[in-house]
Formats: sequence, structure tokens, C-alpha cells
Amino acid sequence: MRIVIGQGSCGIAAGAEKVRKALLNVDVRCDISITGCIGMCYLEPIVDIYDDNNTLTRLVKVSETDAQAIADYVNNGDKSAVEKLIVTEEDSQFLTKQTRIALRNCGIINPEEITAYTATGGYDALKKALGMTPEEVIDIIKVSGLAGRGGAGFPTWFKWNAARQSAGEEKYLICNADEGDPGAFMDRAVIESDPHNLIEGMLIGAYAIGAKHAVVYVRAEYPLAIKRLKNAILQATEAGIIGENIFGSNFSCDFMIKAGAGAFVCGEETALIESLEGHRGMPRLKPPFPAQSGFWRKPSNINNVETFANVAWIINNGGEAFAAMGTEGSKGTKVFAVTGKVKRSGLVEIPMGKTLRDVIFDIGGGMKTDKPFKAVQMGGPSGGCIPADLIDTVIDYKALGATGAIMGSGGMVVMDESTCMVGMAKFFLDFTAKESCGKCIHCRIGTKRMLEMLERITNGDGKEGDIELLEELCYSEYEAHIHDKKCPAGECSALIEYTINADKCRGCTLCARNCPVGAITGTVKNPHVIDTDKCIKCGKCYSVCRFDAVVKA
Amino acid sequence: MIHLTINGKAVQAPDGATILEAARLNHIDIPTLCYDKAVEVYGACGLCVVEAEGIPKLLRSCSAKAAEGMVIHTESERVVQSRKIAMELLMSAHDGDCVAPCQLNCPAHTDCQGYVGLIANGEYDAAIKLIKNKIPLPASIGRVCPHPCEKACRRKNVEEPINIAQLKAFAADMDLQESSYLPDIMARTGKKVAIIGGGPAGLTAAYYLNIMGHSVTVYDMMDKMGGMLRYGIPQYRLPKEVLDKEIALIEKSGVKLVNNVKLGKDFTIQSLKEENDAVIVAVGAWQSSSMRTPGEDLQGVYGGIDFLRAVIQGNAPAIGDRVVICGGGNTAMDACRTAVRLGAKEVYVVYRRTRNEMPADQLEIDEAEEEGVVYKFLTNPLRFNGENGKVKSITLQMMELGEPDASGRRSPVPVEGKTEEIEVDSVILAIGQRLVQGDVTELSLNKRGNIDADEDFFTTNLDGVFAIGDATNRGASIAIEAIGEAGRCAKAVDAYLNGQPLDTRVPYISKRDEKTIDYSDREIKSRISPKVLPPEVRNKSFDEVSLGCKLLKAAQRYDIQPERWAGEMPQAYTHDENAFIERNTAKCILCGLCVRSCREVMDIHAIGLMGRGFKTDISPAFALPLDQTKCNNCGLCVQLCPTGALTEKANLAKQVPLDETFTEQNIEIDGKKASVLVSRYNGKVLRVIPNDELSRSMQLSRDELIAKLT
Repeated sequence: MRIVIGQGSCGIAAGAEKVRKALLNVDVRCDISITGCIGMCYLEPIVDIYDDNNTLTRLVKVSETDAQAIADYVNNGDKSAVEKLIVTEEDSQFLTKQTRIALRNCGIINPEEITAYTATGGYDALKKALGMTPEEVIDIIKVSGLAGRGGAGFPTWFKWNAARQSAGEEKYLICNADEGDPGAFMDRAVIESDPHNLIEGMLIGAYAIGAKHAVVYVRAEYPLAIKRLKNAILQATEAGIIGENIFGSNFSCDFMIKAGAGAFVCGEETALIESLEGHRGMPRLKPPFPAQSGFWRKPSNINNVETFANVAWIINNGGEAFAAMGTEGSKGTKVFAVTGKVKRSGLVEIPMGKTLRDVIFDIGGGMKTDKPFKAVQMGGPSGGCIPADLIDTVIDYKALGATGAIMGSGGMVVMDESTCMVGMAKFFLDFTAKESCGKCIHCRIGTKRMLEMLERITNGDGKEGDIELLEELCYSEYEAHIHDKKCPAGECSALIEYTINADKCRGCTLCARNCPVGAITGTVKNPHVIDTDKCIKCGKCYSVCRFDAVVKA
Repeated sequence: MIHLTINGKAVQAPDGATILEAARLNHIDIPTLCYDKAVEVYGACGLCVVEAEGIPKLLRSCSAKAAEGMVIHTESERVVQSRKIAMELLMSAHDGDCVAPCQLNCPAHTDCQGYVGLIANGEYDAAIKLIKNKIPLPASIGRVCPHPCEKACRRKNVEEPINIAQLKAFAADMDLQESSYLPDIMARTGKKVAIIGGGPAGLTAAYYLNIMGHSVTVYDMMDKMGGMLRYGIPQYRLPKEVLDKEIALIEKSGVKLVNNVKLGKDFTIQSLKEENDAVIVAVGAWQSSSMRTPGEDLQGVYGGIDFLRAVIQGNAPAIGDRVVICGGGNTAMDACRTAVRLGAKEVYVVYRRTRNEMPADQLEIDEAEEEGVVYKFLTNPLRFNGENGKVKSITLQMMELGEPDASGRRSPVPVEGKTEEIEVDSVILAIGQRLVQGDVTELSLNKRGNIDADEDFFTTNLDGVFAIGDATNRGASIAIEAIGEAGRCAKAVDAYLNGQPLDTRVPYISKRDEKTIDYSDREIKSRISPKVLPPEVRNKSFDEVSLGCKLLKAAQRYDIQPERWAGEMPQAYTHDENAFIERNTAKCILCGLCVRSCREVMDIHAIGLMGRGFKTDISPAFALPLDQTKCNNCGLCVQLCPTGALTEKANLAKQVPLDETFTEQNIEIDGKKASVLVSRYNGKVLRVIPNDELSRSMQLSRDELIAKLT
């Protein structure tokens, strides 16, 4: 038997390290190791117990006080005390319904041991690739149809080929791990859980384009990812996988990690290069493209973490196997970080061609509360919100683009009817306004002006003409805010009014006693009344009423 | 060579040229604020976008290379729309005044800031030239103008407004003393213009049309020119000797003046039109308005301007000891103070509102009171009572203030049954004046009974006949209003005579929000009267001040409405400076030219970008002041700055915007030839800016550079 504890950042934040320490303090007669992110964020901390036949018993929402019960189970096979912790069949489906390629080792192997990776056939793909010409490698990637997973979906082979054909001895291969979209954590999970998979993918890419230097630009807010990646680079260097004459070939490549200071704009490739060179992170004009003039003005190729995480699998299984999954225009799988009002949040990898409904309802289990699904935000600040009536949209670059949103890097923020879309837009505008590098007018001033307008609108000061100015964001909910001074979702406090439904009110006086400003009057057993002039819209009456008599509108 | 099409024109450009370079080589103007060939392409402003057929996205022409066979449109609807939004957003976050508030508030848009600054710098000749760009009678106007400029002067928020009007009179008086300024006159056009009326409007129009090369004759019914300036304003306010001198200068500049001829008697508009190419009617308002009060026709009841004119002409009527003046404007003040001077013992001013609502100048109101005038506020004449056909007393209706009317002033309403009677020897009705309608029977009048003239083009119902001043539209107003109209009318008439279209659109300018200005750091200085210093004598031509601001030029390219995007300003005004350069981040548009030139050309890195988003700022590292940086005052940043965020201090005591002319000049540094840009104004060197690698690398101070010029 062996115990494996999920120790991605999310697991650790939920208490996985405490659980591990507690297990070390009790008498457990088996090996205890760690793995990365299992992907079921909503069930963390997770303890996996494998028996000698490698059959898995998964315990979820484990706390340190469960240590003895786990010991009892491991030592004596006494299941009774851990019964309540065992994952339900329904929750298990969160994983069984997925198809994992980029995440194939995540939550299974120990990310801190290179042997755990090689035991799964790790670095075989690199060996195989080094036996081919770079052109042959690019060809396999071309057949696979792999496209940039950072969001834009540009064909990977094309970029590799452009960088390969660019004149110059010195070239750079760069991994963009500056994952910045609110609600996105796919790349962090890959680096924390399977760093060697990233290294292998990057080495194959470096070989393909003819780069001798590989750089990972990762945000400093991902300390665990940086730590595990550093460790993996060290181990791979010791094993002769990074450095001179890799696997005895003519191919040499060194690795460097650059911790970014956490500017959203540095996720844009030219800003990332500026930052790498030590300048303020501001985009450069394209052309020239990085493939012609990138890092230190040398030909450079930049791909996202998830893109590289697919490469080794493709080399091992062939481009056709990857292309067999997905739609005509979008091949393979895509990883999503599903968060928000969804019942089961976490990492979901599914083949392209599935629908949003598959992700949100089938795998995600639908809404957390009984409020109806309203929309899903995809693609971060540059993306958009896909409303409920487009829930059957297929996951495909083109189909998602047609909704006005984008595939994006994989952030999926699920919203139910209690989320105000104007407030949502305000949140994202606040984000983009603060994260603008300040270079170009539209972003520096335009986002600020739109934010000011949304602030006006959500405060009830919206004016006719605001919608025209916000045309790109136009949505009926904005009209309600401006014309009727109402927030249909009840989120914008300046626009909410609390009233008491006299038919439902039993005159229990609870609301009046709880009102902090004495705005509610009424006598026992008679309907109460809220003085809207005095009301500060704190919502206390709404939450304390046991008869649903307080109306929020 | 690459062959491409720009705006339908087949053009050529060398291999590797950008679209912007290709366009410039072919004299096609594409706006940009962040591009300069001295530094690397940056692409921040987005104004240089163009549309290329077959390419879905707009291209930034500063970086996109021209390609064989490209079809480019630089002013397509989509391009213009994109530039407009960029410009609107940019201007919504640009905190600056293109034009000083005093100048904006002057009906004639006189550059008060400019001439006040020139006077402060001792440049009196330049000051009078600047003034005479807008006002041909400055010594007179400086004395009588109610100075709307001073009402807008921001110095009042510190202590008191600048003494603008008196400074103008001072500069003009200096000029009148000797070798008075005469304008350069353009080549004669052979066109003839007749102007009816020699008041401020007629004389002003004549002055400017004469400068424009037209032959102008002014016809006036009185024995001397000047109109209301002469016959409506008492000697103590405007000595007629001053007016005479100014009119003489107008005559000397080439305008023909004809007096003692009257419209309707000696000529008609039509007869003048037959002999001239254009006619301007500037006959003024010479009839005192009636109060429609019973008894107005009694002997001893005079019209305000009739009374004033009679006194000025030496025919002062016998007004007796007790005089009542009805009205609260400047004519009433002139009348009551004149009555005091004629020896009246009791002078009353009857006004139906209170002191606060009086339209007259505060100074006039106070000085009249000091001279013994008694105000009877909240009273209104009910009737003038006579005896033997002569006025004997006035019955006054007591009033009180009611609700504010359309003008915002509280309307006076009668207090039922409350009246007062005062004994009088004479009454002067100074409640306004109007056009003598019988004089202009050939022209269409509006509902108010004034000449109906176009507000922009000053045209009337007769072709080639224009009308301005008190006789038109809304009726009588202050002299500077008539002068402003006359100046604009001169342009309209000139365009008419040349058969050119006239653009009357008001161009966009940036204005600061008065509410947001912080004066707390200003030193309080009391308002001063001008010092009299001998003027320097110079005789150079003076062009109208045009602001050399690239940002304003770009902002005025299209019709933009930045107020649609009004909101927070990103930066407060900063007063950072070293010995030569002043920095004001509130005006910065973050084109980055200063940062890039300092880094890429000079390798000095004195300034950089700080912060993020809307609050992004250009500043020395660690927000240190400029004089603690490695800045060597090369001036390249100032030269490239498209707006007033960076300015190089001029060689002047008071820094004022002047119409400088830059010329490239070679100087010798250590035996080598180096290029500098020399800015001059009116012959004086304002600044010298290093203009090549050598001159920049020497790190010479401005004074050292100026010394090398000779």
C-alpha cells in the first residue's frame, strides 16, 4: 500500500501539508508521498490510497484529525472510520469523464522525482525526436493540428517553422508561463504537477526550431511552480537531458527561469520579451514578429505551457492520434480551469468538440445553488461572456469566436442569475484598467473611461448615450440599470430596494430588531414596513426573514 | 523601388520604407504624435493607422512596411473614426489650456496673456503689435472697457486679477508718444469698401480691411470720428485727445475718413454699393430707449446718450440742482457723474433692482457714490409729473425682488400701494439705446427692431452689404464686442471680395476644468499698476500668434468631442524644473518621445515611465526632481515633445507663449561645426537647442550656446 497526497498549491492551501504532517505523526505502515494537482479543487485536501494491486481509494476533504482513521484503514483494512471520506461515485465522474493528455500525469506522479516521470515513459519522446530531423518533428506537429493554447490558437507548427527558417545561429525558445487571466490556473497546475513534461516539450521545440537556449517566463506569484521547475531542471541537467549533447546527440540546450513581476501585459509575447531583457513590460510593435526578431533581437519562438505539455504525447503517439480528437478546425484536447458558481470546480481536460454544457453541467455538475445558469466568462479580460442560450456551443476556436468570446487560455468563470453582468464587466474593466501598461491610448484611457461609465451606471447615475459609448459591451441588463435604475441581479447596491410583502409578513419583528438604522416599523403580528429613505440597503432584513417576506428588487 | 497606391494615387517608395515614410515622400500627410525618425518606432498613439485593401486590421503606418502593389487609404471613414476616438480619449486625459481664459473671454479674443507677458518683459513694441492684431484703438479701449478678460483672469483665485485693461492702455500710451506702430499693409487688391459709421465697429473693420489691401472709406454723420467712444463716453473716462491720436493713426495707415455725411440724406446704402465692392453698415444705436412712462415727453426729461452727447459737444442743457437718472448701467453712471460735474446738488439714481444686480462696473458704481450720487434702489418711475409742460417731480413705485427670471436675476415686482414722490429739476433716462430705424430702411430688421445680420458672415438681405455692431441683432453692447465683430467681419468681407469660402467653425481647443485648479502654491502678490519704462524701438512685422502645438494640430484635424469621455484626469499639475527645462505631467500624452530620445539618442536615461494604466507617468527615477538627474539640458526631449508637457524656459523674465520662429544655424564648438536650432521672437533669441550629436554631446548651457551664435 502507499499513500499519495495531492500537493498542488490548491491542495496545500486547503490543508494538505497539515494532513501529511499529521499522517507522519501517526503510525502508518506504508510509504507516504506527494503528487501535484489532482484537479478536483472543490474536494481538497485529497488523500489517495493505492493498494498493492494499484487499486485506488480516494479520500476527499480530509483534515488532519482524520490521520488516525487513515492509519487504521492502511494498517488494518478498517474502512469504517474513513467511509465518510471516500469520494462519491458522482464526484469520481469529474475525472472519469475527462480525457487527459496535457494533464496526463497530474495528480498521479510525484512531480519532484524525475524517476516518477521517466517511469511513465518520460523523455522517450525527446529521444525519438532527436532521431528525426527538425523538419520531421515540425511535420508531426503540423499533422497533429496543435494550436497555441495560450488563447489565440495560432498553429504551433507554423510558428516553429517560421523560427526554424529565420536566419541566424542564435535562437531562443521561450515558454510563456505568465498566466494572468483572473480565474485561470491550468499552467500552474501543469508546472507544479508535471514539470518534466513541460521541459520535454520545450526541448523538442528547441530542437525543432534550432534553439540552444530555453527560457521559462513564469510569474513570481507561483513560487511552488518555480521551486518544482528549478528542481526538475536540476534533475534533468544531472541526467544529461539538459545541457550539451543531449542523449549523445549534436543537440545542446540550456534552460533559464525568469520570474516575472506579475504584470498582466507580460503575458503578451513582445511585452514578455521586453521584460525578459530587463525593460519595462510594454508590447513592441509587430512586425517584426518574435520569430524574426525576439529576445535580444534574435529569432525566438514563444509558446504557452499547455501547448508544450501536449508535445511529448504527440511525438510518442503520432500527430494523427492527436488530430483524431476534436473538430475539423480544433484538434486534441483543451484544459479549462472551471470556477465560479459551478458545483464542481477544478481542472477539466476534454477533447475539443465537446460542448460548454458538457463541461459545466456534465462534468461540473451544474450550479452550486438552485439559481439558474446565466453565463460563462471565457478568455479572461480579452474574452467575453457566453450567455445561457449558447450553452450548447461547441468547444472549438471558431465556434467560440463566433459567440464574441474566445477560447482563451482556459479560464471559465461560471455565473448564475445572482451575478450582475454589468458588475462583471466592471470587475474586468477594473482589472484591465489597472493592468494596462500605459503605452497605447485606447487601453490606457479607454478602459478607464469605460470603467468610469460602468461605475456611474452601477451607482444609478447612468445617462442616455452611455450605451452607445459602451456599444461593444451592450447588453439588455445595462439598459435596465440606465432606464429603470434597476439591477436585475440585485448586486449593485445603489440600485436595490428592499420592501416587505405584507401578505407574507407575519409581524415577527425580527427584521425590525435587526435593522441597524431603525428603518423598519410595525407592531407584533402586523405586517412591517421599510422606510426606503432611511434604508441603507445592508440586506440584514432580507437575510434574517424566515418567511421570505422581504423583497429585494 | 516599391510601387503602391495611396489614396488613389500611384506612388513609389524605396525598398524597406514604411507606409508612413512612403506617404511622406509623396507629400501625403498622415498624423502621428509618437513617431520621430530620431528614435525607434514605438506605436503608442495609434493616429498613424491606415487601411490597406485586403488586410482586415488597420495598420500602424509608422511600423508597417510598404509592399509592392499595396493599395492604401489614409483618410477612409474607418481610419478617421479610429483616429477620432484616439484623439478624443487622448484629449479627455490631457489637462491643459490651449488658450488663456482671459483671451477666450475677450469678445475680440485679444491675446491678453501674451501682451501682459511682453510688457512684463519690457517688450512694449511687441506688446502693441500683439494688441493691434485685435484692437486698433487700444489706448481708448484700455480706458473704457469693462474688461471681461479680468473677470476670467485666474489670478483672482490667488488675490486679484491682473490689471489687464490698464496694462493695455499703458502699452498703447507708450506707443502713442513717439514713432507709433503702423501695420504692414498688404498689396492693394483694387477692391473698394465703404463703411457707414465711424465708431469702434466701423473703424476696426476699416483698419483690418485696409491692412488686407482693400481701399476703405468710412462715412460718418458727426463732425468727428469715434462714434459712441467720442459722443457717449465722458471726457473724464476717455480723454478725446487719446481717441484723436488713435483715429489719426488709422487714417495714417491708409483708411479714408469722411465726416458730416449722413445715410439717407447724403447717400444711400444702394448708392454706396454701386460705387464700392462691399458696404459695411456700422451705424450704431443712437436713440435713447423709452421707458413708456407717462410724462416722458415733458420738458427736462432727457435721453441718456442725448444728454452725454450734448455735454461733450459743449451744449450742456440746464439740468438744475435736483437730477434723477433712471437706469443701472454704465450709461447711467456716465450720466450721473456728468450731472455731478455740471454742478447738480442732488443727483439720484433710480434703479428697480438692488446694487448687486446693477450691470454697471463696480468701480463706476463706487466712484459715483463717492462723488455724492444717491442710489434709490428698488424703485421704478411710475410717472413724471409736470407743471407748465416742464417736469416737476417723479412718482416712484417701490419694488421688491421676486423669483429669478430667465437671465437668473431676481425680477423686481411692485409693492402694492407703496410709492414715493421726489421733486426734480430734470430727469435723464439711461435705460438703453437703440438703432434709429429710419436710417436703415433698405435693410431687413429682426423682431427686436435691429438689423438682421448673419452671426458668422455678417451678411444682410442685400448682396455685398454687411452689418455689425450696436445696430445689429441683439442691439447695443460694449465697445469690445463691436470690435470683435468688426475683426471677424473684416475676414468675412475679405473672403467675399476674394471669392473665397470662409471657415467659421470654432476649432477645438483644450480647456482646463476651473474647479480642479489648485492655487495653494502661488505666492500672493498685489495687483500692480504698470511701471513706465522707455520703450525699445523696433519695426518688425508681427504675425498672428499661432500655437506650435503638435497635439493641438492633431486635435483640430477632425471634428472631435472629447467631452463625451470626460472623467478623471490622470495627473495633477507638476512644477518640476531645472535651469532650462520645465516639466508638467498633466499635459503629457505619454508618446514616450522624451524617454526614448533620452535613452536611445543620448544614452542618458534621465527620465522613464512609472506606474501603470491610467496613472502611468513620465518622471525621473524614484520621482526625483529633474535637477537631481543626469539631464544635461540637451533639449532634445523638449524639441520632440508634441505638447506643452516639456518646455524649455525662454530667455525671458516672464514665460509666455510667443510665436517663435526656429531656424537651423551652425556654430563652432572646439573648431568643429555643430548644428543648433535657434528660436527667435521679434529679433530676440529665446532659446538655442542643440540639433546634432556634437552640439548635444558638449553639454553647453543655453547662455554658452547663445554666446557661440555671434
